[in-house]
Amino acid sequence: MPRGLRQALMGLLLAALCAVLIAPATEGFAQGSPFGVPGAPPAAAPVESGGWFDALGQRFLAVQQRLHRQLGDSIETLKTERAAAGMLVLIALSFGYGIVHAAGPGHGKAVISSYVLANEETVRRGIVLSFVSAIAQALTAVALVGLLAILFNSSGARITGWANTLETASYALIAGLGLYLLVRELLALFRRGSALQHDDRHAHGHHAGHDHDHNCGCGHLHAPPADALKQPVTLKSMAAVVAAVGIRPCTGAILVLIFALAQDLFWAGVAATFVMALGTAITVSALAALAVGSRDFALRYAGAGSGWASTIWTACSLGGAAAIFLLGAVLFAASLGPARPF
Amino acid sequence: MRFALFGAVVALVLGSPGPADAHPHVWVTARTMMQFDKDGRVTGVRHTWVFDKFYSATALQGLDTDLDGKYSKAELEPLAAVNISSLKDFGYFTVVKAADAEVALSEPVDYLVEEKAGVVTLAFTLPLTSPIDARLGTLELDVYDPSYYVAFSFAADTPITFAADAPKGCAAKLPQAPKEGNPNDLSESFFSQLGPDSNFGATLSQAARIECAG
Repeated sequence: MPRGLRQALMGLLLAALCAVLIAPATEGFAQGSPFGVPGAPPAAAPVESGGWFDALGQRFLAVQQRLHRQLGDSIETLKTERAAAGMLVLIALSFGYGIVHAAGPGHGKAVISSYVLANEETVRRGIVLSFVSAIAQALTAVALVGLLAILFNSSGARITGWANTLETASYALIAGLGLYLLVRELLALFRRGSALQHDDRHAHGHHAGHDHDHNCGCGHLHAPPADALKQPVTLKSMAAVVAAVGIRPCTGAILVLIFALAQDLFWAGVAATFVMALGTAITVSALAALAVGSRDFALRYAGAGSGWASTIWTACSLGGAAAIFLLGAVLFAASLGPARPF
Repeated sequence: MRFALFGAVVALVLGSPGPADAHPHVWVTARTMMQFDKDGRVTGVRHTWVFDKFYSATALQGLDTDLDGKYSKAELEPLAAVNISSLKDFGYFTVVKAADAEVALSEPVDYLVEEKAGVVTLAFTLPLTSPIDARLGTLELDVYDPSYYVAFSFAADTPITFAADAPKGCAAKLPQAPKEGNPNDLSESFFSQLGPDSNFGATLSQAARIECAG
């Protein structure tokens, strides 16, 4: 393949990657207008164009609404003689609801995808992260409703107040995690950069008595990026992702839990919550796998050890970390807005 | 080329803009009664919002303080007060326009929350800061949450009514026939007819045109 064409393709790919990384960060803006401008009346309807994407979005909304309602119906059926059938329907509906519901903000979709993209994570790790985070969110929701509603008979407003506080904390943690990853990547980049410079000086014979650390071993532009950029994959940073995402209870789960409780069927709500979490995890896993898959595909295409591969790694690492930070910061700011009436 | 496509797909999926971000947790079926003064001018709108049963259960949680299984007026009063005071930050999810300009709304009055079979209804009146004569031009009324957290839709039957003082010939027109009535009951046929040309999303914003001819 001619060099020019290859470079053009790589440029395209990098642009696509950038879009992946930047897009999730805007999600807070999309949903945050009443938070951002307290007291401002709602703006004119943005829903007007009739593109296929809108149609998809609308279909998606409708499906979510239907599942939500049928979920309620199936919980009510549990009180009738058709309880067994109701339970099966409840499980199926919760699963479906979880799968479509994950597309909303706050379910870790963007954070986990960006994280696995930025770090040298495998598809398998992305899937594990998705599932553990989703289960953690379910546990948080069950614990919150169980504690406040059952033990203290707190009001719904109080429970949602707590949920909002946890949500704010979650977004703050996500921003913090992003910042940490960003600083780490920048430091690594800086170290590589200075090592390069050092080598240049070598080449030009400027031996000015620098005492650089030669253990770095990554001073060549054409060094294999897999070795050069390998970050120690720590269980710690994965745990940080789970904690940051997992302390935010899913609002949908809270609604289902309280509704089930009102029917004296709390256990059914708990079951629904965990099945929903499985559905959510599947969507998030798929997106994380897609992110890792496209990155790895690009790397393979670029050729191991090529300059392009190195550029892709840098773009992924910095972009992913920046996206996590931005996403967390935007959602954090949005979550500080006025309390919702309902 | 394949990987560029691959990347583009990821970008689309992750960055899903617009309505795909729509993420309602609360569904409201709205009815509005237009209020008039003796001269036949519009003085305000009275909303009656029926909530879905999930939000209803959450709103009612912990409010039956005397544990008699019923929600008395006194038990529901705090809920109404909280709803009304925090609605202010969201512009009451209501936009009234006359001649394409937004009309100023005053603080709500006559608010109350009712519960019936586990379903919560919130009613309140939003006065216009100064009355407007709808005979002189069309009024637009829109009830919706731009963040999509609350999905509003006008009721299928009598979505907009007119108080007794209304001048003759007042009528409301919705952009399309409302697709649903009870938020707890959405027919299968509604979903089966959802195609690429469906305007379900428009139910998020459905400015009603109010005209008082003559």
